[in-house]
Amino acid sequence: MLAKLIISFAYFLDSSKRYKRVKDFAFDILENEKSRIKPYFDAFIIFLVLLTVSILIYDIAHHLSYHFEIIENIAVSVFVLEWLGRFWIHDNIRYNIIKYHKKKVEDGTDVHLIEILKMIIVQKVKYIFSPMSIIDLLAILPTYRPLRILRIFLIFRLLKIFRYTKSLNTFFKVFSDKKFEFNFLFILAIFAVFMSATIMYVFEGIGNNPNIKSYLDAIYWSIITISTVGYGDITPVTFTGKVITLFLVGGGFMILVLATSIVTNALSDKMEMVRENKLLSQANKLSNLIVIFGFGRMGMALANELNENGKDFIIVDKNEENTLKAKELGYLYMKADASDYETIKNLVFDNDVDKVVLTTENDALNLSVLLTIKAEKKDIVVIVRANNDENVKKFKIAKADFVIFPYETVAEVAVEYIGSSVKFDAIENIILKKSNISLDEINILDGSNIVGKSISEIGLNKMSIIVIALLKHGSSRNFIFNPDSDYMVEANDSLVVIGDERNIEDIKKSISRQFT
Amino acid sequence: MINIVLFGYSKTGREIAKLLSKDEYNLQIIDENPLSVAKANEDGFYAKHSAFNDDKMLEEVGVGKDIDVLFCTSTDDSFNLFITLSARSLDKDLKILTLIYKKEDEKKMILAGANRTISPYDVGALKAFRIIDKPKVSKVLDLFSLQSNKLSMNEIVIRKNSILDGVYFKDLNIFKEHNLIFLGMLDKELGEKFIFFSEGINHKIDFNDIIIVLGSKSDIKKFKKVIE
Repeated sequence: MLAKLIISFAYFLDSSKRYKRVKDFAFDILENEKSRIKPYFDAFIIFLVLLTVSILIYDIAHHLSYHFEIIENIAVSVFVLEWLGRFWIHDNIRYNIIKYHKKKVEDGTDVHLIEILKMIIVQKVKYIFSPMSIIDLLAILPTYRPLRILRIFLIFRLLKIFRYTKSLNTFFKVFSDKKFEFNFLFILAIFAVFMSATIMYVFEGIGNNPNIKSYLDAIYWSIITISTVGYGDITPVTFTGKVITLFLVGGGFMILVLATSIVTNALSDKMEMVRENKLLSQANKLSNLIVIFGFGRMGMALANELNENGKDFIIVDKNEENTLKAKELGYLYMKADASDYETIKNLVFDNDVDKVVLTTENDALNLSVLLTIKAEKKDIVVIVRANNDENVKKFKIAKADFVIFPYETVAEVAVEYIGSSVKFDAIENIILKKSNISLDEINILDGSNIVGKSISEIGLNKMSIIVIALLKHGSSRNFIFNPDSDYMVEANDSLVVIGDERNIEDIKKSISRQFT
Repeated sequence: MINIVLFGYSKTGREIAKLLSKDEYNLQIIDENPLSVAKANEDGFYAKHSAFNDDKMLEEVGVGKDIDVLFCTSTDDSFNLFITLSARSLDKDLKILTLIYKKEDEKKMILAGANRTISPYDVGALKAFRIIDKPKVSKVLDLFSLQSNKLSMNEIVIRKNSILDGVYFKDLNIFKEHNLIFLGMLDKELGEKFIFFSEGINHKIDFNDIIIVLGSKSDIKKFKKVIE
């Protein structure tokens, strides 16, 4: 009976949109790394922790008014709510119950209350005893009155801060990664401590040294010496004691050096990971991102051009030398293998990317990245560099939006040089952007005031701007070469013009001003 | 017949060779690498093997005598530099176009005697950038490419007594009548600088000047007849 009630309740929740909305919201605040509210919530919790801990410290020597009690209570209520929230969203009971019920119906067997309860309890207990949950509980429990003696455990609240800092987590991961090395060092240190303490106790503990009264004193002396602290409250008096001390000091030094080198090594290994995490979260905030695969000479020339024009881009290259160059230039980069699916997923699929440029010298790699992207997201524009004329066709078959075969373009320009060099210079100036005369496009947006005006009315002739072509609705299939100056422009048309950079800029500005 | 020497049957070298028709140009290819020479021969071009530092070879193919244009298209900047320097010492008037792979090498090449330099990486990057930044411009530029062959850019030398001799930029309606775009010109008196129409200067066209027009091939042909 109760089992049936639980099941029907689960179905009821599943059909409720409001319930789902609330749960999604809780998830956004508490666990969703990508949500916009979470950083604010995290900052708020960290603030509460620091505030209550400082109150505790101040309270030790001073007497505080009851106002502070209120702050404490508010903080704890927030912590409790937070814990309950996480308890709630940790797993999906409603879904599990429905699944269980469906299975039972299929099998034709009856539902059992015990099985359902077991399912719920196992999941929730798992959460309660997870390390993060224990930290949270330790931050809450000391406030409970009968446990008031445990007030000092409020310090555990500081642990809560770790939960919110990703880089600290990586830092601790360093230690777990080097478990073997640390274990070895630890055993070595223990061995040295007990051995020297035993020898010391045997030779000086029988009354030779008034400071060593027990075995504990000997161990205390050994640890103080091996750690190079050396208080000097217990010093060796016998010859044997002095020899042992010499070895212990030398050994202690070695252990410290080893430990330091292990930590630095592990940290530098992890630094690249920390940097990558940071980069990915940075990339996540950008929109209309351009991803450049390959930072060779072409990739670099392109990156420089994009940078000058204020576009956001990320570079991917696995070559150390190339990524160093990107680092020097201050560009966003990721040292990764482009043939790796994870790289493409993290960088291209999980971000707001609208264009990808493949500039590596390896056509097979370019093709594999192109296919990976097109298989999952067709609407990302992919521009591919072909390194071999036979491969241009293959890239087109693989649905590349644009294929660039640089050698052919260069050849076309170079051949122009055979005649008189005038044409070459004209092409070089315009196509390779060597003068302030530039090719540009003016897009007529729907609703702009210049819709219905003629080309001369827009003021292009006055500024000596030549309209080379007018693309009807922006399509090159439907274009008018050299349109008349009394031609009326329509919404969504694009004008491809040639003229002085500044004049074109002026025209563009005046058009945007007329925009209603 | 224009005599051309191409040093280095690289990817760029190959594309250039493909563009030069055999009836108009006499092309000789030289390469350091026997494999490239074999490939050029296979593609149907006349190619020879020779080391880059062999000056006799340059004289043999005719540099200093009847060669008009030299393309240095080897994949190695230092080879290109060496050939440029050797060829320039043999012939002061030779037209030399050299590939560069690093921006820093441009000045060096000019100093060695190259007339013009061009970088495949820059060209490729600019093309990619234009697709990203100005997609419509790149669409129109594609119409000008040799492959699509829809529009072309042409140079016209103004002869004496041509109807354009002595005409100012602003008075030019003749281009519009022939559905051509007047881009600019090179004034022999003012030296080697190209003057764009869009610079807004009202310049006078004289004979021996060279003008550049855009338009379809047939329109340009008709126009050439009219002005003479």
